[in-house]
Amino acid sequence: MIGDRRRADFEATLLRTADERGRDAGAALRRASLWRDALHRFTRNRAAVVAALAFLSMVAYVTLTPWLSSLDPYAVDFSIAYQSPSWDHPFGTDQFGRDLFVRTALGGRVSIGIGFAATIAIMGVGILYGAVSGFVGGWIDNGLMRFLDALYGLPYLPFAIITLAIFGTVNFWTMVVALTIASWFTTARVMRGQILTLKQNDYVRAARAVGARWHRVLFRHLLPNTLGVIIIFVFLELPGVVLGEAFLSFIGLGISPPKASWGTLAQEGYTAYQTYPYIILIPSLAIAWLILSAFFVADGLRDALDPKAKQKAA
Amino acid sequence: MLKFVIRRVLWTIPVLLLVILMTFLMMRQIGGNPFRTSERAVPPAIQANLERKFHVDQPWWKQYLYYTQGVFTLDFGPSLTLRNQSVNDIIKQRFPVSLKLGGLAMLWALVLGIPLGIIAALKQNTITDYATMAFVNAGYALPNFLIATLLIYVFAVRLKDQTGLPTNGWDDWRTWILPTIALGHAPMTIFARIVRGSMLETLQQDYVRTAKAKGLRWRRVVGLHVLRNSLIPAVTAAAPLLGYLITGSFIIETIFGIPGIGRYYVLAVFGRDYSVVLGVTVLLAGIIILANMVVDILYGYLDPRTRDTRT
Repeated sequence: MIGDRRRADFEATLLRTADERGRDAGAALRRASLWRDALHRFTRNRAAVVAALAFLSMVAYVTLTPWLSSLDPYAVDFSIAYQSPSWDHPFGTDQFGRDLFVRTALGGRVSIGIGFAATIAIMGVGILYGAVSGFVGGWIDNGLMRFLDALYGLPYLPFAIITLAIFGTVNFWTMVVALTIASWFTTARVMRGQILTLKQNDYVRAARAVGARWHRVLFRHLLPNTLGVIIIFVFLELPGVVLGEAFLSFIGLGISPPKASWGTLAQEGYTAYQTYPYIILIPSLAIAWLILSAFFVADGLRDALDPKAKQKAA
Repeated sequence: MLKFVIRRVLWTIPVLLLVILMTFLMMRQIGGNPFRTSERAVPPAIQANLERKFHVDQPWWKQYLYYTQGVFTLDFGPSLTLRNQSVNDIIKQRFPVSLKLGGLAMLWALVLGIPLGIIAALKQNTITDYATMAFVNAGYALPNFLIATLLIYVFAVRLKDQTGLPTNGWDDWRTWILPTIALGHAPMTIFARIVRGSMLETLQQDYVRTAKAKGLRWRRVVGLHVLRNSLIPAVTAAAPLLGYLITGSFIIETIFGIPGIGRYYVLAVFGRDYSVVLGVTVLLAGIIILANMVVDILYGYLDPRTRDTRT
């Protein structure tokens, strides 16, 4: 695939006249900025574009539907309980006759909201920890990394459960904290690696040589250059966090009714799966949709922001 | 190599101590006396005796030392809600069930995941590759409670007469099939992905080209050079996958009503049986730590270059 593209580029270059080439030579480079370059590469990656559209459409569905729909997601009406999907209720209704199209959107708001909040928190903690460890170095780095090694591979669910038990209640923010505590390690490790690699660069040494203080080096030269990795990691962390929230909700440690997340909706559907299997299917497929699209967006972003890694792998 | 092994084995001790300390401190934050009068009403004198016996009247760091001593002698203390049962009894009863389920699931993941990865890599960018990876990716994204429910719905409810599989329980081999598939699914997709990735990388290596160039038959190249070198990374994936299995077992055991440790953990959280929660968490963490150690040593043996970095 890449070979084809390269050959196409090459042939296009051959076709251009020497004249055109001469004009181009004098002009400023069109794709000079890293971000425009990345955007260009991203939009040429068909899988990534489709995934981005799928991701955005899911976000649009969960944000817009509750505003646009005239149905009350909390109105109980037993006369229309357990209706199969129809024109009036595209996803059917649950055991209380509540419309699942709107409720799935509301659940998505909670799930995606928790997902993004926890991801941002994870990134914050991870970046801080990793940056300190990688930047300071020495025995502090050693100690911090040994601590991470110790936590490596521990199952996150028990620790999230214990955190929730400490709080005593489950709501949006306790869930965010629990998921953050249970899953910030990977980000910290990756960030440290990034900082360590970037520290070797000549521009960092040059900045130091001309007398830049440590905070200028860190905030001006190191952290901005990790932005690409950070953006990729947001999309890599998000699926795990959304899934973790769904697991916790499914075993009964979710946000309390009548509010719901995709996990609690799936749990409600599970209680009636033998007769009404569509109820568990819909929120689960929504989770899968979000996870898959985020995953492919992350993939596309990696190829776009770090083309060197791709060449190495291919 | 011996030095590396000794270093790696000794390193697990502080790690274990740290993890016990963290879990212990977290559990303490939940608060409450382990011998709450709500569950076991006893006279004050006996209450005081109990507290002395289990060191509840001591400062926290002494309690931690006692607890750690208990853990290293494989004694996790008494259960808070079940009379006359210790955490050890509960683990002894339920852990073998979970171990069997986890083992079967891991087997399923290996037996299905590795061939899928190999096939996808050898047929890269063909319809076979795309179909395999679509299956793997879909399986990765679908939450395991959906996979479990669908399996039950299709094979134990709809096709009940043909398959004769039960919807829940853990008695004979018939009851093992569906939970194994449901639990092994996520690790299976991960194995397939890792094997495919490392196969593709190995196929690019010079020695593969050399082997091909000197006229070795393709089957032999793959069998002799590619497979051997690309299955090593799959070994490293095994320890993190244990985490997946444990997380998954909480849900799968709940759905299928399997009397394993994962289901009891969830019940213990709701029943506020915190010594069980603490004990099982420490046990699971200990297993992961030991698995990490074994994988690192194995990896150090297979690939000597990693010995320095993996202490």
